[in-house]
Amino acid sequence: MIEVKNVTKKYESTIAVDNISFEVKDGEVVGLLGPNGAGKSTTMNMITGYIEPTSGQIFVNGIDILKKPNKVKKQIGYMPEGVPLYYELTPKEFISYMAELKLVKKKERKQEVQRVINEAGLQEVQNRLIRNISRGYKQRVSLAGALVGNPDVIILDEPTVGLDPKQITEIRELIKKLGKNHTVILSSHILSEISQICEKVIIINKGKLIAVDTPENLEKATMDNNGILLTVEDPKNNIRNLKDQIKEIKNVELVKDNHDGTKQYLILSSSDVDLRKQLFNLLPKQDIVILELKKSETTLEEAFIKLIDAVEVNKNYNSKEENKAQKNENKEKAIEQEKSNKKEEKK
Amino acid sequence: MWAIYKKELKTYFLSPIGYISIGIFMLMYSIFFYATTITYYSVDMGNLYYATARYGLLLIVPLLTMRIFSEEKRNGTEQLLLTSPKSVTSIVLGKFFAAVTIILITIILSIVYAVIVSFFGTVNIPTMLATILGFILVAIAAISIGMLVSSLTENQIVSAIITIAILVAPWFLIEISDIFSAVDLMDKFMKFPYGLISIPDVISLVSITIMCILITIILIKRRKAIS
Repeated sequence: MIEVKNVTKKYESTIAVDNISFEVKDGEVVGLLGPNGAGKSTTMNMITGYIEPTSGQIFVNGIDILKKPNKVKKQIGYMPEGVPLYYELTPKEFISYMAELKLVKKKERKQEVQRVINEAGLQEVQNRLIRNISRGYKQRVSLAGALVGNPDVIILDEPTVGLDPKQITEIRELIKKLGKNHTVILSSHILSEISQICEKVIIINKGKLIAVDTPENLEKATMDNNGILLTVEDPKNNIRNLKDQIKEIKNVELVKDNHDGTKQYLILSSSDVDLRKQLFNLLPKQDIVILELKKSETTLEEAFIKLIDAVEVNKNYNSKEENKAQKNENKEKAIEQEKSNKKEEKK
Repeated sequence: MWAIYKKELKTYFLSPIGYISIGIFMLMYSIFFYATTITYYSVDMGNLYYATARYGLLLIVPLLTMRIFSEEKRNGTEQLLLTSPKSVTSIVLGKFFAAVTIILITIILSIVYAVIVSFFGTVNIPTMLATILGFILVAIAAISIGMLVSSLTENQIVSAIITIAILVAPWFLIEISDIFSAVDLMDKFMKFPYGLISIPDVISLVSITIMCILITIILIKRRKAIS
């Protein structure tokens, strides 16, 4: 259980994290999502006790990190951003050093190190220098370092950055497995990843908390149009008239021309109507051959961009309004001044 | 502390830096053994240690200490240390004693020269022990200064150069004013080769060491709040 309460981190001129509060329950896998520079790493660094918040409190399993840092740090396994490792050690040496740092008892250490090596799939490279192993393995060594000592909470900062697709799936599977008996927080700017692994998403941008919800809810909440993707063979271009025949259609957009006589269109309607049946019945009558017809799904990616844009647009709008108001005031003042000047001249 | 000490000591010998430091030290001992003992047909070991301290310690120690914190900071491994349940004090002390161990190894190896001399005359053992004590005190002071500087910068070269400057500058600054002899480590080593253990010198070398270690600990703790 992690509680983050009104946490702010200020640097001299910038605010990296601005009054963030959220909760992560036991056994949850939570994704921290945001564009680069949003404050994800800063938030994680504060939860792990690497840096201290300027204000606010963080509790891990009910213990305040600022008051009893060593007790909290024992319960957290952290994989920092950029995969920092000691390149002159072998994975086995590195993991057993991490075990010592995590205060794993001497008797259990050997067994624990071997357990983690197996779990992270490092058997093959365990005795090679970290310097010489591939990026994917380095990432796993770093992950293994976070797992050693079997901490309750595992915090992973961009665990899949720089990996090839196969390695990404492997690491994802591993994280999913971890989620069964650990509390996991992971950060990413790749949304598909989060939607696959996480039960809950925390979106932050420019240090501010934008949304906390399940990936499905976020997708639903930001979906205001129903889209249908349609691939058709339409030599007479009858699709122009489609909008007149079905009134619910808001717009028909050309997605791409395949240059073999077929074209793909996106048909938008409001989110409460499903036009698929109607289209299927109507189009053949118009000499349009349907090759493909499917519902287009808004992705979490779109939801994410929409959420971030919405916040920014609001801000810009507000500041514009303020500017306008100020300008008007200035104008009024100037007019009054002129009037009084004129009066004085008259006198 | 023990875990960090072991790992640090291992790292010195996994990279060439441990071997190079010890090698250069042994080379210096040999050169000064020839220059101060053999050339003068002397059994006095004092000058040997004095010359090695002056040119060895103050020039080699910065190479030993430059990586202590700079490297961790640059590679980000500092995060692994500082998010572990180990206290900052134990991290700093572990690293400090690992560097001290390298110097102790060279001192143990240097006893071979006393053995050589003992074939041709009698070595004054108490004087030699006093000299070695002084040598160790100067070494720990120099290491603590180097470690403090290393905790301030990410760049190892910058760390080494600043440490050398701090250790060597007093030699020349004395020309301007005698006040600077107060920060000259060699000035405090002067009496040991004569077999004199001067309490003020011991206290000032030990207190420089403790002060630098404390400042390092405070700086690392403080950085959590501001960085």
